[in-house]
Formats: sequence, structure tokens, C-alpha cells
Amino acid sequence: MNDQPSIAVGAPEPITPLTDAEKRVIAWLNENSSREAVLADLQDTLQTAIEIELATIPIYLFTYYSINREAASGENLEAPQLFANKAGAVIMSVAVEEMLHMSLSSNVLFALGGTPRHYRRAPGQYPTPLPYHNPVGPKGPDGQTAVLIPLSKLSFEQLWHFLQIEYPEAKDVTPEDRDWDTIGQFYSFIRCLLCTKFLSDADFQRGPAERGIQPGNYSPNNIDTVFPKEKFDPWKTAPPVPLPGWLAKDGHPRAAEIAQFTDCADSHTGPSALLTIATVRKAIKAIDTVCDQGEGAPICGPKVDPDDDLSSLEMSHYQKFLTLQAQFAAYKDTKEDLPPYSDRVAPVEPTVTQSELEAAGLIYNFPDNPTTGIYPIHLWPISAFTSACFQYMLIMTETIYRVPPHQQKLFFNEGLHRSMIWVLDKYIKTIRKIPVGGGKVMAPTFENVDLGPPVTAFAGLTYYGNQAIAAANAILAADPNGPLASVMSDVIYYIGVAISATSADGHPMHLPDVAEYWSEEEA
Amino acid sequence: MRSMRRPGHSPASEAKAVAAAAAAAPSGPGFPIPVPNPYIVDPPAFPEHAQTGVTGMPAHSCMGLNSCRGTDRFGLVGPPGRGPNACAGQGYCATSNNHTCHVQNDCRNQGGCGLYGTAEEMNRPGYNDCRSQGSCATPINAERFSTNGQNQGKSVWARARELFETEVWPALRDELQGKRESGAIPADQPLPETLGKPPAPFTESGPSYLWISSVNADRGAFQACGSSGMSGAGGCS
Repeated sequence: MNDQPSIAVGAPEPITPLTDAEKRVIAWLNENSSREAVLADLQDTLQTAIEIELATIPIYLFTYYSINREAASGENLEAPQLFANKAGAVIMSVAVEEMLHMSLSSNVLFALGGTPRHYRRAPGQYPTPLPYHNPVGPKGPDGQTAVLIPLSKLSFEQLWHFLQIEYPEAKDVTPEDRDWDTIGQFYSFIRCLLCTKFLSDADFQRGPAERGIQPGNYSPNNIDTVFPKEKFDPWKTAPPVPLPGWLAKDGHPRAAEIAQFTDCADSHTGPSALLTIATVRKAIKAIDTVCDQGEGAPICGPKVDPDDDLSSLEMSHYQKFLTLQAQFAAYKDTKEDLPPYSDRVAPVEPTVTQSELEAAGLIYNFPDNPTTGIYPIHLWPISAFTSACFQYMLIMTETIYRVPPHQQKLFFNEGLHRSMIWVLDKYIKTIRKIPVGGGKVMAPTFENVDLGPPVTAFAGLTYYGNQAIAAANAILAADPNGPLASVMSDVIYYIGVAISATSADGHPMHLPDVAEYWSEEEA
Repeated sequence: MRSMRRPGHSPASEAKAVAAAAAAAPSGPGFPIPVPNPYIVDPPAFPEHAQTGVTGMPAHSCMGLNSCRGTDRFGLVGPPGRGPNACAGQGYCATSNNHTCHVQNDCRNQGGCGLYGTAEEMNRPGYNDCRSQGSCATPINAERFSTNGQNQGKSVWARARELFETEVWPALRDELQGKRESGAIPADQPLPETLGKPPAPFTESGPSYLWISSVNADRGAFQACGSSGMSGAGGCS
């Protein structure tokens, strides 16, 4: 094998040294497995990795969208709103990295000649286990040990479920691809497969790297992963330009001066966060980035050697969520089982309570684990479009590998960025204003709806969109000046962005139809 | 008031929102609104729609990024009581289609920047390759800072102006002169000769939210994407 990882540790792009447990597994595989078996196992395990990462994304986004980050801003920020805004930024920062991790596993699988699958591979129902996760875990705040993750609004308990997902790996535990306790253990098994004697760089050149998802499509931070540390003056210009003459120089600081950036540009292994793969070593670096950013990296106690994240400013996912949970008043007396080898985060002041956050209107009252079927029947199409858009995004993700390299950036912007920022984000923030009974409001359901095969999926999306537009128009017709009139207008507008928007000169400004990249025979 | 495109919000509902916001002040961000409004007399009021400018000149994303005489938001007419802008880099605000977010730009060099996008995109505000490749809302309000890349935490407009002076305008000038020589544009069409300073009082900062929006209105009159409340303008929904 080229470029043996066990001996290739060193500057400037080191990778994590193998643990003794990993060395034992590798030795066993070298002795008892075969090249064909390892390659097949690697492809299967990478597809499972994709589905683990994919499972986390609806869970994190659901909770993210339950937060009202903008009830107050600027000089009017008080402790509860500051916490809500921070919670939103932190959860989004983790969701963004889960998308990165899904892309990394996809790129490794593609390099091996595999076909990364995303469409209709999200969890079928909630609460959900993660694929092959040990169903029994450490005790939670309620004394229960089941590892079933719900779609639920922001709460102390939901943050515990996030900790269940991101629970840190103890040092030198046995790598596992089944019944794993931590995601770190699972990825450790992938590292073992990658480090067997059977593989060579040529094995990672079956899918051309130039068709992988390119590094230039990933961004660690955006305006949604940023939060204000304290009150700020919204009139003040961004540095370094001078403040306007009419503005008092004292008072609250500029927004840019108190902005907290939750992800760091250097929190990865290798030359970029998102890697395309053409060698064994690059595949190992991709897995290293996944582990180091969140899943399984011990944050205290038995540490691995530092191997990346030169600034060391970014917290692991586990640490991010634990720090959020530690600001809830309930944290002080929690009975939840935190790992003894991990930092025990001290309570964070000022504390907040669930009732305080809800009373301030900072948490939308989402139902737990909703499906479209629980909503009033006249709202079903409006709910279903959220899932249709989500599924179309997954189809577009699969499609990226088929787009000619010189067109990938444009496809990514017009497909993935537009759908995430301009359709799904705005659509969910619109429908959460719709009451659904029992004091609840509509939440996204992220179901595995069927858009048909990829070649006709845009038509499927359009069908769901037109159904939702018809439902919104019916509500508008029944009560043109009613409280939901502007909400329904926005529903129609954002669906238009997905399926029919055009520029003033007639150019399509909607999501791309992926049909040209698929044949009718492909499911 | 002058409002930007906002789905589901008619001018009438916007006006009500402004009145409600004023009545409820100081509840929202940016209250109290400065009295008197420092931009009510000079500079001229922000025009909601870009006026017709010199033929053949490209649209641009913000104040001080125009390519030639008579090519800013006031076009060939100029602001009330004044003539059109005299030269490149001296104009008032964007002529591109106003848009509020990443990948919504119509053409090259029309993206704003700073809110969404990659490090590379965020380092090139007003300097994107083509349609859908721009990064974020236009115009670029003076309060906006980059959230990613080398310019993280710093003024987006200042970076756009720096790029305009050093890269965008020189390239544009050469391109336009080449077009005139080849006959692609009329021989008598004025071309960029000199690069001027952006108009006061925004010479160093770019246009403030207060000038673009003319009101505060809970930061809803001019929008830029994002949910953190830190874009200096309103969110998108």
C-alpha cells in the first residue's frame, strides 16, 4: 500500500496515529480478510456513514428552526435572546459540519467507484436510532438509556439527545461497525479498513476526483453560524471604516466587534475541509476531519496527539452542545451520565429556563416527531412540500457527481445553495407561523416522500409545489385579509423560487431540473 | 417610504409596519432613529429603482462601484437638482437588480457579499463571474461585515471598493475601450477615464442602512439574509 498512514504522521498535514486497538483490528483484517472483502466492506460502511450523517441533519435542523433568533436584536438584546441566538448559531454550525461529513464520506465512496445514495435514505420515522447504533446508551436526564433521537424543539432534554449523537469516544476502544457506542468507534473501523494491506491509491481513483464534490463548495461560517456576544449598536459601520459623524462614539460596540464565529476555517485535516479523494492518505484525512470536528474526539483525559486544527479554537460538537446545555438551570442537578474521561463543563451564567425562553417567544411550539398526517388535512400539501424540497436536495446531491466539473460550481450554487438558503430555510420560517391546533405551529417533517426516479424528480417536486400553492390559494380565497394571508403569499412565493422563478430577462432562477443527468432506467 | 422587494409584504402593509414600529419605539433594533435624520437633506434620497444610465455600461452592486459617468442609480438624469455622476467610482449605489441573498444575482459583478458563500466568494464582493455566482444582498450596507474568509469581521463595502479600484475598474476600462475599438459600442460613447471618490458622507464607508431604507422600521425596510440579526438590515422572512 502506498503512503502508509501509521508511519506518515508529521507536519504539515499530519493524521491521527493509529491506536493500539486499531492496530489489533488491522492486523486481524490483514490476516483473515481479503482485498475483495475489504473493498466491499468499505463501500458498505461508507454508505452507512453517509446515512448516519444524513440522519443527524433533519434532527439538528428541526431544533434549529424551533428557535426564534430575531425577536430582538442590537441594543435590545437581553440574556434569553442572546442565549437563543447563540443556540441557533451553534446548532447550525454543527449541521453545516454534518453536511461536510456527509460530503466527505460520499467523496471517499465515489473515489472507490461506489455510488453515494442520499435520496430517501433519511430516517423513516422519529424518534429514530442512528444506523447500527447500540440502542442502549448512558443514562439521560430522565433516567432512560434508550438511544432514540426525536425531532423536537430546543430544550434541555433535546440537547441531551444531541449529546447522545455526539458522545465522545474513550481512548483505545475497539473499533466497531455494528452496535457501536460512539460515532468515533464507527469511523475508527473505517480507518482500520483504510489501513489494511489490501488497498492502494489506485483503488481510490475509480471515481475521478474532479467529479467529486469540490473543496470550493464548502464554507465553515455564514451569517447563520454567527451570534452576538452582547448588545451592539446596529447603526455603527463595520470596521475598519470610520463611524458616521452623527453617531456617538461611546455606547454599545459595533456588531462586527462582538460577533462570535462558531466554526473555524482551520478545523480540519488536509489542505481544505472538503477534500476530493484520489489516494489512501486523502481518504484517511477525510475521516480524520469527521472525527476531529465532532464525532468521538475526546475533549479531555486521554488525548490523541494534536493532528489538526492549528488554532485549536473550535469546540467539538459534543463540547458545543454540552456548553449550551450547561446554560440551562436544569444542568446543575442533572442526572445525565457524562463520560468520566471528558471535560465536565461548569454551569454557564446567566442561566436560562425553558419557561423563560418560551414566555419570551424565543421557541416555536413545534409538535414532537410530526408527520404531515398529524396536521389539519387542508394543510397537508403545504407541509408535504417541505419534505419534497428536502428530498430534491438529496437528489441534487447525488447528481453533483454527474455534472461536468466545469459546471459543478454553478450547479451547486443554483441547486444546493439556492434550495437551502432561499427555499427550505425561508419556507420553514414561513410555515412555522401556521397554527396546527393544540397551541402548536407547523414544523418541518423531513419525510422520505417519493418524487419518482431522478429523471422525473423535478416534475415530482413541481407537483408537490403546485399542490401546496393550490392549498395556499384556497386559504387566501377563504379569508383574503385573514391572519394567514401574508403567510400564504410567502408560501406561494418561495415555492415559486423552487419550481418556476425566472429573471427579468427570462433566465431560469429556480432549482435546476436534474433530468439531463439521469437516464430513465435509473431508479 | 421606499422599500425593497419582500414577499408577502405589500407597500401598504410596509407602511403600517413603519407606523407601528414608530409607535412602538424604542422596541426594535436601531431605535431611537436619529432626529433629525442625518441623510434627509443631503445626500439625495435613495431611489427605489435604478434610472436609465449610459448605454453599454455594466450594472454594479453598490455605491462607488460604477464604471463611468452617468452610470449610477440616478442614471443620466442625476439626483434632483444636480447633474449625473461625473466619473467612475463616484456614483450613488447599485444599478443591479436589488436582491437579498446569495446566488440571486443576475450577472457578473452584481453580487453583494459577506453573509453566505465560500471564503473565496466572500473575498470578492461585487466581483463575481456570472449570474448566480454572486454572494449576497445588494446594495451593500455600511454595517455589513464578512462572515467567512480573509475579510472575516471587516467591512464588505470597503473590500468591494478596494477590489473595484485595483481590479474590477481597470479590467472594465480595458474591456470597454477594446469594445469601442472593435465597433462593438458606439465610437462616441463616453468611456471611463478617471476614478473618482464615492459621494459624501459615505466616501469611506459605503451607504448606511439608514440612507438606503430612509426609515428604521425594525430593520425590515431593506433586507439581507440571515437569522443572526447581525447583517445590519432585516432578515428575509
